[in-house]
Amino acid sequence: MTISLIALAILLGLVFMRVPIAFAMAIVGGIGFALLRGWAPAGAMVGNAVFETGLNYSLSVVPLFIFMGNVLAGSGIAQGLFSAADRIFGRMRGGLAMATVLSCGGFSAVCGSSLATAATMSKVAMPSMRRFGYSDSLATGAIAAGGTLGILIPPSVVLIIFGLLTEADIGKLFLAGIIPGILGIIGYLLAVMVAVRLKPELAPKVGEVHPMTRADAISVAAVLALFVFIMAGIYGGFFTPIEAAGMGAAAALVIAFLTGGLSRHVLWQAFVESASASAMIFAIVIGAEIFSNFVTFAGLPDALADIVEDQGMSPWLVLLLIVLIYMVLGCFLESLSMILLTVPVFYPLISGLDFGVEILADPDALVIWFAIIVVVVTEISLITPPIGMNVFVLRSVLPDVSLGTIFSGVYVFWVADIIRLALIIALPILSLYLVA
Amino acid sequence: EELIMSSWLPPKHPIVVNAFEPWAEEVEKVTDGRVTVRIMRKPLGSPPAHFDMARDGIADVTYGLHSFTEDDRFNRARLGQFSFLGDDAIANSKAYWSIYGGELDAAAEHEGTHLLGLFMHGPGLLHNNLRKIETPADLEGMKLRVPGGYVGDLVSTLGAAPLFMSSTEVYEKLSRGVIDGVAFTYEAMTAFNLVDYIKYSMTVPGGIYNTTWFFVVNEDKWNSLSEEDRAAIDAISGEAFAERVGQAWNDADTAAQDVVGDKVEFYAAGPEVVGALRDAAGTLEASWAEGLGEGYDGAAALEEFRAMTGVSVE
Amino acid sequence: MTQPDAGGTAPSPASSGGRWGHRRALWYRLLADTSALLILALIGVTCVDVVGRYLFNHPFGGAYELTQMLLAALVFAALPLTSIDGGHVEVDLALHLLSRPVQRVLGRLAGAVSAVALAYFAYRLVLIGLDQIHDGTRSASLALPMAPLAFLAAASCAVSSVAMILRRETQ
Ligand code: NA
Ligand code: NA
Repeated sequence: MTISLIALAILLGLVFMRVPIAFAMAIVGGIGFALLRGWAPAGAMVGNAVFETGLNYSLSVVPLFIFMGNVLAGSGIAQGLFSAADRIFGRMRGGLAMATVLSCGGFSAVCGSSLATAATMSKVAMPSMRRFGYSDSLATGAIAAGGTLGILIPPSVVLIIFGLLTEADIGKLFLAGIIPGILGIIGYLLAVMVAVRLKPELAPKVGEVHPMTRADAISVAAVLALFVFIMAGIYGGFFTPIEAAGMGAAAALVIAFLTGGLSRHVLWQAFVESASASAMIFAIVIGAEIFSNFVTFAGLPDALADIVEDQGMSPWLVLLLIVLIYMVLGCFLESLSMILLTVPVFYPLISGLDFGVEILADPDALVIWFAIIVVVVTEISLITPPIGMNVFVLRSVLPDVSLGTIFSGVYVFWVADIIRLALIIALPILSLYLVA
Repeated sequence: EELIMSSWLPPKHPIVVNAFEPWAEEVEKVTDGRVTVRIMRKPLGSPPAHFDMARDGIADVTYGLHSFTEDDRFNRARLGQFSFLGDDAIANSKAYWSIYGGELDAAAEHEGTHLLGLFMHGPGLLHNNLRKIETPADLEGMKLRVPGGYVGDLVSTLGAAPLFMSSTEVYEKLSRGVIDGVAFTYEAMTAFNLVDYIKYSMTVPGGIYNTTWFFVVNEDKWNSLSEEDRAAIDAISGEAFAERVGQAWNDADTAAQDVVGDKVEFYAAGPEVVGALRDAAGTLEASWAEGLGEGYDGAAALEEFRAMTGVSVE
Repeated sequence: MTQPDAGGTAPSPASSGGRWGHRRALWYRLLADTSALLILALIGVTCVDVVGRYLFNHPFGGAYELTQMLLAALVFAALPLTSIDGGHVEVDLALHLLSRPVQRVLGRLAGAVSAVALAYFAYRLVLIGLDQIHDGTRSASLALPMAPLAFLAAASCAVSSVAMILRRETQ
């Protein structure tokens, strides 16, 4: 336990000195393993982790789902979604912010990453909201929060990685994310209403309702078609969730060519950026594998389980503590690294607990419920200062808005998220209804 | 002294619960607590890496399948992967330990480790959801998941289309009709939740295939133990372990058969199908025996194996 | 915070010099084109398999294995791109408290530390490749030799190691 904690401290030190988290985990994990076990075994372990991660069949979804999102982002579909959503809310105060939330949810249905969702939607929603005099804080807050839906509404790279770490059924994890995702949209819509009610100066009284063009309608139809194609393909038994990524990517290419919104240069960029982003993710997976081998070896999961047992803690208290740890870590860590670092430690702990709820007696159900809780906490971490990745994405797209402004707009959404988290913990059926 | 064991099967798997864990406890008992075994909560590498992991000392003790990766290292190990070898996992494992561990010199193929066990599971069956295989022609075009090269060659000789995938993918693919059937044991039918997607299961005398497993400890680590402790551990390993793990597989098969009940139609392969399989198997066995080179008589080893398990090939 | 390019967040490759000048280098374009082709091949393998299965009742037996190998090739082809683009996930939060020159030194140091890790990866992958040649390791259904993949991975880590040293300041 002590050695794990020392290693964790050194890891955080390296990370804050700007060593990429992938290499920081690999170095601390590799050296830690060597100290416990010898240099030759540690070297062999590191080599195996590097070589075999690339060969992991299930991880093939990472480049393909990212590519699918990038192709759609490049083909202007986000603009269409936004305009269409604006038709619904345009006449209300804060309508554009609400349209932003809804179109973020829509884009999430075809994009596996929260950062990509936030980045894409910021390019279409921000200019409109500025033109109509929305405050920067509400505008950026809505985008940063709406973007987090990308990893909860399927497809989701994070849910896939969670499935890989815990051997949970990825198809079921995807289904489980739908209701909490819709709850998220509703919560954010309410958050906008509350915000403009409390501070009317955040948004103009009435926006202008954009006419829905043919292109907008096509965009909405394309997103719906792709989502239905993927979900029907998986649950209709035509292809596996892993194959869905390849099929979805192919379908996205077809859609992009049919709508003609994709130039050759943008397409090439979608390829290269997807490849590059995948390499980044694989580097982290490799680092996390090395680090978690060390942590397992050092006996951290066993030590935690012993503590829980010795103290006779109630399972709900354990879960609450884990959520609190996630909230704290979420302040500092980026989503993927957080999941890779913590799930190998916490999942064995949770899977051994009896929550005394009938629906959670099935171990498969328990892991799915825990997955959704972890993803929602991770979503929250994306907009929690000081390190909220979605906020940073917005900042890089909109260099003239200060971080403080964005965080000040985010807090109403943060409150909505906390309420949603409490609901999801208290009512496991929300995550499990579609699965059972 | 603590031996670190990396285990990649699910923690509740019957051979983990009924063979490896009891073995680990017994190690402590027979060495009066001088040697303990700590089974890691999570494997320290991918399943195919587990032999190398013991050789390289990443873990001390590992187990795994010889057929995980295709290479030239475990050629003689394939003795136990053929058809018609035996219906009882205990007899299979004992024969395998005795013959592969004996005249086929398994130790030389497991260089860098000390052998704690060599074993096999119960008979492999051919499950499918299309039709009863009454004649070899019924196999024509059937898409079958196979566990390795041998079964793949066997069924493709008879016109079926073999497909390779990890065993955890089988449920997804079978339930979606991507494959029509799978060569698996009784135990795997329930372990991988396949019962609803299988209609017919064909038994072949002695099994249509089997898989062979190693159970090893890092050689340097082994040599660092006292002679007394090594002798004590050897006494509960090897043949004794073959008995223990064979029993675990048999019990798992029986339990699975009880669960499946009559939800699946089990039937014995007819003489025509068995004959065709034998012809195909004979060719594959001969080419394996030929490839073993000087000093190893594969044909004799197979004959001895079947004599030990009581399977008649003719 | 340096954001990873997780889809559409990367600045466009500028046509002239500056931070993205390396994107015009031949090796970069070569690896980028290779990565693009590999993604296309991954999509192709799935489509051929799934479509073949339903339209012609003829699945592609090697799909599983080919996907694995294309994926590994893709990851290692793209690793140098990510490394030189500064695409790895980093946290530079605390750095803003420090003066510019100190930040720069720390940035270089972080790059060097990463370079050492990558160089070590390369070394271990060469050992794995040699081992695989010795054992004749090949894939289960298509019998493709595995060693070339290990050497490709080793070369990729070596190039990425150099890239981590050469990379420009991203702030
Ligand atoms: Na999504
Ligand atoms: Na955060």
